[in-house]
Amino acid sequence: MRKPTRWLMAGGAFALIMAACTPGGDDDGGDGDGGTGGGGELVWAIGGAEAQPGGVHQQVAELWNEENPDNPVRIELLPEAADQQREQQALELQSEGSTFDVLGMDVIWTGEYAENGWLESLEDVRGEIEDASIPGAFESATWGGELWAAPYNTNAGLLYYRTDLVDTPPTTWDQLCQTATTAGAGAGIGGLIGQGAQYEGFVVNWLEYYWSAGGELFNEDQSEVLFDTDIAAQATQFMADAISGGCYAPGYNTAQEEEARNEFQQGNTVFMRNWPYVYSLIEEDTASPANGNFAIAPLPTFEGDGTISALGGFNNAVSAFSDNIDAAKDFVVWAATNEEAQTMLATEGSVPPTMASVYDQLADDPVMSLLGQILPDAKPRPPAPSWNEISVEMQRALFPAVNGQGDVQEAVEQVRTVLEDAIG
Amino acid sequence: MTQTRPAAAGEARPAARPPRQRGSGLSERALARVFVAPSLALMALVALFPVLYAIVLSLFEYTRRQREGFAGLGNYTEALGDDRFWSALWFTLVFTVTSVAAEFLIGLGFALLMNQTFRGRGLTRAAILIPWVIPTVIAAQMWFFMFNVTPGFINTLFGLGDFNWLGQPGWATFAIVFADVWKTAPFVALLLLAGLQTIPAEMTESAMVDGAGRWQRLWYITLPLLRPAILVALLFRTVDALRVYDLVAVMTGGAFDTESLSVLVQQYVVRTPDPGFGSALSTLTFILILGIGLLFVRALGRDIAIGRGEEAR
Repeated sequence: MRKPTRWLMAGGAFALIMAACTPGGDDDGGDGDGGTGGGGELVWAIGGAEAQPGGVHQQVAELWNEENPDNPVRIELLPEAADQQREQQALELQSEGSTFDVLGMDVIWTGEYAENGWLESLEDVRGEIEDASIPGAFESATWGGELWAAPYNTNAGLLYYRTDLVDTPPTTWDQLCQTATTAGAGAGIGGLIGQGAQYEGFVVNWLEYYWSAGGELFNEDQSEVLFDTDIAAQATQFMADAISGGCYAPGYNTAQEEEARNEFQQGNTVFMRNWPYVYSLIEEDTASPANGNFAIAPLPTFEGDGTISALGGFNNAVSAFSDNIDAAKDFVVWAATNEEAQTMLATEGSVPPTMASVYDQLADDPVMSLLGQILPDAKPRPPAPSWNEISVEMQRALFPAVNGQGDVQEAVEQVRTVLEDAIG
Repeated sequence: MTQTRPAAAGEARPAARPPRQRGSGLSERALARVFVAPSLALMALVALFPVLYAIVLSLFEYTRRQREGFAGLGNYTEALGDDRFWSALWFTLVFTVTSVAAEFLIGLGFALLMNQTFRGRGLTRAAILIPWVIPTVIAAQMWFFMFNVTPGFINTLFGLGDFNWLGQPGWATFAIVFADVWKTAPFVALLLLAGLQTIPAEMTESAMVDGAGRWQRLWYITLPLLRPAILVALLFRTVDALRVYDLVAVMTGGAFDTESLSVLVQQYVVRTPDPGFGSALSTLTFILILGIGLLFVRALGRDIAIGRGEEAR
């Protein structure tokens, strides 16, 4: 008498487990009818410090929840490192799981996610988003001429410099190196520190030299390679000379963001290339020699005209496997175009928003007002599906050349081949 | 299902009795196999399945995460024709040989020291073991801070200015080997100490009576008797060193010719996902480690056989 019930219970539990493990939704996944338009919780898979309890992403979610109690947003906190966030999302999306409705996506993942069929197209709300967003951020959310995500927050490289050692910030890289070497030698400290270790940040730094000399990687819709080996060689040679000639501070080639910040904050360098988050950290550190003696400026170029910076940041995309596509779409559009939410990013989290109009209101904030100037000219890395492969290969080719271990000309030829293979 | 269980139990009882009755079911040996089967099946599922699955994956062609079709041994020929594989293999072998050799020598020294009777021996043993207790990633981050120009503790300590340990080939490898030796020499010491304590004091004493010097005693008595323990220590360390990942990932990220096989595998599994190529690389790594491991196990087996033969005499 007992045994059959037990078997039934076990069978029932097994069926439940199977049901829970089986990706929800229909087999063809991602047709537009997935959204019921009804109520239901939205899960927003996003990582990083600001997604943690008390962080600004939580505050944005709460603001949405007040206005939309039927479709409250809950943050599913992903790991800190971008690679791991991508891995978590990929595991879910690869199995066509419907757990995540909204995906917090690094600007370089757009192409990969779109080509895998993981994203719901946002073409029907394109106009609204395009009108509100900074062009570079908008570009990073498109792939193959189609809009796949709504810009959310952005990021750009800034030049930090010591006001007690430098009168006016340099406008060309050569000027920067001259000042870095003389002022650095005078004060007995290093010149410029940036992100020179072999990782994604190195590619970002290299691209800022390459772009500022007029180079391009691809044409607009990534169908043609526009890589210029002469310009690339100029940029690479500049970096190689800066290492061997002492323009870069010692330890440049092992520094990521935090090592660079440490050096500058401890007063060990004259200049630093870093993201906006560093500003408030140095301002709060009263023991730092740089405290009260630093300012920010746009990154120099080779010719001294204008500035170019590599864009970072996150876009919000709607998962093609979401059970609540319509509500999820409403949320990502709202997060990109709602002035209150976008302003909150800057005021509560020091995270640069993507909505162009909010920068006018933030003119009192030194970082945001500078970003307001820089961002219109900032460039995203191409959000190609193969960007990670391209980046790894660029690191492998360019890093040794910059460090005097490889031939500059060979390295840039190699990068050209990599780029051609990527779209070929 | 409900009927078989009591039946099996009924059969088992008579079989367990020493005088075996004919036709009463399973023999003791067969019964043992039946009992062991579930755990073997579980082990196969947990340990063997991933290995076999990786081999299956390695036979397919992928573009990022999407399967394109059967590739045969294409991923293997691609891997073996890739300079990157060979440079990762070279670094892994250099790392293994240098770190295991240094760990063995230092570990042996520690073990001999700890085997002496002196005041504060317990404290010394505990102190020597501390590095082994620290998780490898944390040790790696710590040594990154020690060697790196910022904050540059080692440079400050030795007055080396801005010497860029991790920012040039050669020295970067040295730093990684150094960190590994620091971390795992205590482990080798512990294993060798356990071996040393099985050596009867009479042996060395009688050698002393025969007039053997300190070095002669070490060379002719201690080391030969320590052989099994040495082999076990070397086996563990070699297999572990061949898989090195955390130290490299944290300290250099594979820059300056310090990319190990595991770092390369991780790239193709996580950073630039290509399950086919990644699995081929990990299978090659697996074969390498298995091969070297088997060499040790064979040497060890012979050793134990010799030991048993001597005991029997």
